[in-house]
Amino acid sequence: MATRTRRKPDAPAGTAIADRDPVLLRRIHEVMVLTRAVEDRMVAMYKGGDLLGSLYTGHWHEAISVGAASTLRTDDYMAPIHRDLGAHLWRGMEPWQVMASFMGKATSPTGGRDGTLHYGRLDLGIYNLPSHIPANFPVATGMAFASKYRGQDRVCLAFCGDGSTSRADFHESLTMASVLKLPNVFVIENNQFAYSTPLRMQSNSETFAIKAVAYGIPGVTVDGTDALAVHDAVAEGVARARAGEGPSIVEGVTMRMHGHAEHDPADYVPKDMYDEWSKKDPVELFENVLIDAGVLDGDAAKKVREDARQLAIAARRKALADPMPEPSGIEDGVYAD
Amino acid sequence: MPTDSGQATYLEAVGLALDSEMDRDPDVFIIGEDVGQFGGAFKVTKGFLEKFGARRVVDTPIAETGFTGLAAGAALVGLRPVVEFQFADFISCAFDPIINVLARHHWRTGDAMPVTMRAPFGGRLRAGPTHSQSVESYFAHVPGIKIVMPGTPEDAAGLLVSSIRDNSPTLYLENKYLYRRLRASGPLSLDPIPLGVAKVVREGRDVTLITYSAGVSQGLEVAEELDKDGISVEVVDIRTIVPLDVETIVNSVRKTSRAVVLHEAAKRLGYGAEIAATIQEEAFWDLDQPVVRIGALNTPTPTSPPLEDAVIPQPAQIAETLRKVARA
Repeated sequence: MATRTRRKPDAPAGTAIADRDPVLLRRIHEVMVLTRAVEDRMVAMYKGGDLLGSLYTGHWHEAISVGAASTLRTDDYMAPIHRDLGAHLWRGMEPWQVMASFMGKATSPTGGRDGTLHYGRLDLGIYNLPSHIPANFPVATGMAFASKYRGQDRVCLAFCGDGSTSRADFHESLTMASVLKLPNVFVIENNQFAYSTPLRMQSNSETFAIKAVAYGIPGVTVDGTDALAVHDAVAEGVARARAGEGPSIVEGVTMRMHGHAEHDPADYVPKDMYDEWSKKDPVELFENVLIDAGVLDGDAAKKVREDARQLAIAARRKALADPMPEPSGIEDGVYAD
Repeated sequence: MPTDSGQATYLEAVGLALDSEMDRDPDVFIIGEDVGQFGGAFKVTKGFLEKFGARRVVDTPIAETGFTGLAAGAALVGLRPVVEFQFADFISCAFDPIINVLARHHWRTGDAMPVTMRAPFGGRLRAGPTHSQSVESYFAHVPGIKIVMPGTPEDAAGLLVSSIRDNSPTLYLENKYLYRRLRASGPLSLDPIPLGVAKVVREGRDVTLITYSAGVSQGLEVAEELDKDGISVEVVDIRTIVPLDVETIVNSVRKTSRAVVLHEAAKRLGYGAEIAATIQEEAFWDLDQPVVRIGALNTPTPTSPPLEDAVIPQPAQIAETLRKVARA
């Protein structure tokens, strides 16, 4: 099965947009804007000393994260990574909970037992992953397996980075999912760097989607700064998975615009890369597409941004005021009752 | 399919218990390499594919991390996977999903991952350094995994039933040397045997032998020999090393005042170290002698019979140690 590179449609964006659900488009925009607002706020919180340790952000991943998550039904599963705040917010994660997680607060989804980026909630269908990414991939195949086992058509969407593709979990999961024909879509967020390791030291593959050929499944590379391109490619994979036709790979190409985490100045990144990619802000690009198409007007866009900013400020206030956890009972739950 | 002949082997007991749990609970499935059409490397699942179908008897590619992590995800959303590792030696290929996913997920999130991992382990089959390992101590150090090590066909059945029904990840280690060497003394009960309850399998006065898995039958044989010399050995089968039934161990040691711990794993940092330390914490003033550990030498397990026999505990060494401790 061939992989292909899908470029932005040559037709004016407005043409395609007109046929789409404006409510969905505006919702994608809102969540992308909120993602950016929360992460910008959290960068300030990191600098101001509000957080326990470092902060992992997804600047320039918003189109992948939200574009992909927005293809799912609410009963589908997700196994996102640390660049995917947008996918969490899409599912209903509260920004203050994410902040509480980075602060070790009792109100974080793990009550402070885990922290930082480990805040997934099963009640939202989101697997809370460990640090060993893509350890979420095998788990994602299991959630998909359970769906198939029960004769359901629920799909599991799993995310990883370019660096993850080198690990055994990646290969074993893709092998298992394709052999067992599991309803998975694997999204590879190619952001050019795995911590300090650039693409050329990570993989000799021309693309990451091309790896799909070896698994006998479809793979596609899309512009990861284009929310609609991501949405469409993932939607195709989800439809295929839901129909029982097995897994697929979607590679979204973007740039990691901050360090691996905020402690990392990322001075190993050539400056001209930042200059080039700064012209491709996914949030701004999508907003312009919607405004050009008349789905959103300038005032409405401004309001979305201001609402998101206020929400992030309120979230910080709540997270700061929330209590730290009590150590009593720390041995409870090591084993499940 | 296995049927209970009234004298089921240890291996048949494992199969009968698994069959019974798959009958009882439609969410239980078996997954691993060669478990389906081949019936498993040791034939524990012979006939399962025909009876339960490919949906519940899942042959996989050679991908231990892949299928263990798959089991974790399936368990997270309500299934009860039973994973078969073809040899416990291959479990190292799945360290990450076991340690970083299964063992700590419930504590981190409150969401259970009820996966049972079955693995044939141990030596004396002349299988060499990477087919004979005792792996329990790797995992006993990690919070969150229960570790079950039956030493009889009866316990193999009842403890597997409990392991599958338990909501925690459970490592169920089958001693492959015992597979076809031990037989049940009557029809098997498939009632669950609670995890964390040790059993005094032989009452004695002079010294307590604390052991598990193959150490139980080995210890009982040695105890019968020593009985002829007037040495009365109490044998405690701890059955599950996590959770550990400290009370039964301590009660026995209080009675005999002497304790020897036996396992086939290497002595250095083997589970005997934990048991010996626990005894000195809980029953130091009841002891007449220091607690002695018997375990394998600190080498890989060799292949050739004279070499392997020199490395892992043998009856003569066990007898000599018990005699020495009992008479000191």
